Amino acid sequence: MTVNRREALKRVACLMGGTLCASAILGIEKGYSATTSVGSKAAILRPPQMAIVSAVAEIMIPRTDTPGAIDVGVPGFIDLMLKDVYTQKDRERYLAGVAELDAAAQSEQGKKFVALESPQQIALVRKFHDAAVVEESRLHRPHAHLQRPFILMTKELTLLGFFTSQVGATQVLQYVAVPGSYHACVPLEQAGNGKTWAVQPGIEF
Amino acid sequence: MDSNSYDAIVVGTGISGGWAAKELTEHGLKTLVLDRGRMVRHGDYPTALLNPWELPYGGRPTAEDLRHQPVAARTGYVGSQASKHWFVDELDNPYVEKQRFDWVRGYQVGGRSITWGRQSYRWSQMDFEANARDGIAVDWPIRYNDLAPWYDHVESFIGVSGSAENLPQLPDGKFLPPMELNCVEKQFKQTVVEKFGRPLIIGRAAHLTAPLAHSPQRGTCQFRNMCIRGCPFGAYFSSNSSTLPAAEKTGNMTLRPNAIVYELIYDEKRNRASGVRVLDAETGAQTEYFARVIFLCASTFGSAFILLNSVSTRFPNGFGNDSGELGCNIMDHHLDVGAGAFVDGFQDRYYSGRRPNGFYIPRYRNVGKDKRDYLRGFGYQGSATRLDWPSLMHDTALGAQLKQKAVKPGPWHISLGGFGEILPYHDNRVMLDRSAKDKFRLPLLAFDAGLKQNELSMRKDMANDAAEMLTAAGFRDVRPSDNVIGVGLGIHEMGTARMGRDPKTSVLNAWNQVHACRNVYVTDGACMTSAACQNPSLTYMALTARAVNHAVEELKQMNL
Repeated sequence: MTVNRREALKRVACLMGGTLCASAILGIEKGYSATTSVGSKAAILRPPQMAIVSAVAEIMIPRTDTPGAIDVGVPGFIDLMLKDVYTQKDRERYLAGVAELDAAAQSEQGKKFVALESPQQIALVRKFHDAAVVEESRLHRPHAHLQRPFILMTKELTLLGFFTSQVGATQVLQYVAVPGSYHACVPLEQAGNGKTWAVQPGIEF
Repeated sequence: MDSNSYDAIVVGTGISGGWAAKELTEHGLKTLVLDRGRMVRHGDYPTALLNPWELPYGGRPTAEDLRHQPVAARTGYVGSQASKHWFVDELDNPYVEKQRFDWVRGYQVGGRSITWGRQSYRWSQMDFEANARDGIAVDWPIRYNDLAPWYDHVESFIGVSGSAENLPQLPDGKFLPPMELNCVEKQFKQTVVEKFGRPLIIGRAAHLTAPLAHSPQRGTCQFRNMCIRGCPFGAYFSSNSSTLPAAEKTGNMTLRPNAIVYELIYDEKRNRASGVRVLDAETGAQTEYFARVIFLCASTFGSAFILLNSVSTRFPNGFGNDSGELGCNIMDHHLDVGAGAFVDGFQDRYYSGRRPNGFYIPRYRNVGKDKRDYLRGFGYQGSATRLDWPSLMHDTALGAQLKQKAVKPGPWHISLGGFGEILPYHDNRVMLDRSAKDKFRLPLLAFDAGLKQNELSMRKDMANDAAEMLTAAGFRDVRPSDNVIGVGLGIHEMGTARMGRDPKTSVLNAWNQVHACRNVYVTDGACMTSAACQNPSLTYMALTARAVNHAVEELKQMNL
C-alpha cells in the first residue's frame, strides 16, 4: 500500500512537468469521459494547485489492489467540475482552501504540502477533513446551501468521479447494465459478487 | 374535406393526449394530433443506454444547465445529464411567479409520459364524494362506478403491476404480477399492519412484469431503473411506446410536432369551436386546422393557457369561462415531507436488479373512524436500500479504509415521503399576464398559489406519523423532515377547468365537455374537481377514454 501511495505521489509530482505526465494524471489514457474534454491542460487549477488537489484526492481514494483516484482521472474531473458545474464563488472558496492547506503545511511543518512526507500529508488532510465533517454534520443543511469547504468538495468530487468512472463502477464496485430481473432479498454472496452495486435503485426514477 | 380539416383534433401527446389519439383513431376518426415540442419516436432516447461513466459531469447539471432549468432543478433530479433534454429551456419558456410556483414542463412528443413516476392508483368512491361530504368547492359530477370500467380498459392496455388488496380507499385493478418488497420493507410492513392497522403494499406501477399480447413492441421490465431516460424496451407505459403506436397503426392519425396551439377558433353562429390556431415552433408560421371535435390534452396549465387565450365576444374572459372558475382551483400533491431511519440487521441480505418502484402506504387519515383536525389525507411512498458511497461523505474513514467501506454494502436505510391532498381553493389560480410576452409573442401565465392551513396541518402528521411508524419498527436514528416546497413540485398539477354539475360554478360537465361549448373536451389534469392523494395519471387516462367514447357516440347521434 505504501508503495502504491509513493507511486501515486510520484505521478502527482510529475504534474509540475510535461504534458505526458499531465495526460496520465488527467486520466486521458483511461478514456474517462468526464475528463476527455479537458485536454492535457487544466482549466481552473494551475499546476501547483493541481498537485495539491491530486495528492489530496489520492489520499482519500488511493491505489490499493485496485486503481485509485489518480488512476481514473479524478484530478482532471475535479478541474472540469470546477470549471463547468460550480459558481465563481465556489471556485474562489475552493482555491482559497487549497492555499489554506498549503499554508498550514508551511506553518506546521515548514514545507509546501507537496514536499511533505506521505504520513504528514495524510495527517494534515485528516485534520482538515475531520474538523469539516464535524462542522458540516452539525448544520443539517440541504446540499445546495452547504458552501462546502475545499476539503469536503474534494471528497465529494473524488467519490463522485471515482465511483462513476468505469474502473470505479466495474472493478471496485459491481455494475450490471441490464439486470433483467429483480431479486428482493438474497444472501449477500448471491447478489452478484457481493460488493456494493455501483448504481442503486432510487437514484433515478 | 380540405387538407386542414379532420374529424378530430387532439392538442398534446402526453398521458392524456396519447390516450385521446388512440381511442379516437381506433374509432375510425381521422385525427390530427398536435404537440408543441419536437418529434420523439419510441426508441429516440439518447441517454437510455449510457453507463454512469458515459454521462458527463458525473451526471450533474452544469451551471449553464441550471441557468436554463432553474425550476426543474428544484426537484433535485430531473435536470441531470441523463434526463435534462426532456425538460424545457425555461429561458425560452418563462412564466410569472407571484408566489413561488414549481412548473416542471416537458415539451416533446410524448410529453411527460416519458419521465413520469409510473405509479398508478385508482381513486375510490371516497375521493369522488369528498367535496360533497365536506361541503367545499363543488361536487364531482361523476362517481367511482362511472369510471371503474374505464380504469379496467386503461389498465388492461397499459399494463400495471400490482397486488390485489381489497382496500375500499384504493380499489384493485387489472394487475400484472406485483414486484417484490425486500426484507426490510417486509419487516416494516409487519409493524405498520400489526401495530397501526394500516396497509403497506408494493407500489402499483405501469411496468410490464409480464408480456402484453396486444403490444408486441413492448418488452418486459429489465430492472435497470433508468426509466426517466426513456425505456428502449418499452417496458413502462409512455405515449411513445404505447398509445401513439396504437394510433399510428390505425392509419387515421396525422401527428404534427412543433405545433403550438395558442387559440381555439370559436364559431359564434353555431356555438362551437371550429378549430385551432397553431404557431410553428420552428418557423413561426401560423396555420388554422378544423375539426368537428377538439380534445384539449395540453397539460393542466397548457390547456388553461389555450382556454384563457381564446377570447371572443361570447367568451371575453376566456373560452367557456362563464363561471369565472377558469384558471382557479389549482391543486397538486404536497410532498417533500416524511422520515427516514437506519435499520440494524439484515447485514447478510442484499438485492440484485434495480426495482423501479417502492412500497406504498395508502391513505388512512380521515378514513373510517379516524378523524383529524384537517380534511382529507395523504399516502406514503418509500423504499429500503443498503447505503452506498454517497453516504460516506461524513464518515471519518479515509484512504484504503474509505474504499473498503464503499465496496461493502452499507447499512440498510428506509425512508418514506408523503403525498398529501391539496384542497381546491378558488384563489389558488393562474392568470394570463398580457404585459409580458415569450419569444413567440404569446402572453405569459402568472401563478399565484400556495399551501394553506389544511395542508400545513396535514404536513405535521405526514412527518410525525412516518417517524412514529419507523420508531415502532425498532429502526434507529429516525429523522423526520419537512422541506419548504412550491405548489407544483409534486408535478401532479390539477384544476383550472374543473368538472361540475353547474355551469355557473364549473367549466366542464360530467363528460369533460366545456359546459358552454360541447364540442370541446378537456381531459388532462385541468378537469379535476379535487385532488385526492393518489398519483393522478391513471385517472386522466380513464377520464380521457371515457370522454372519447362519449364524443364518438355524440358524433354518431349528430349531437356535436
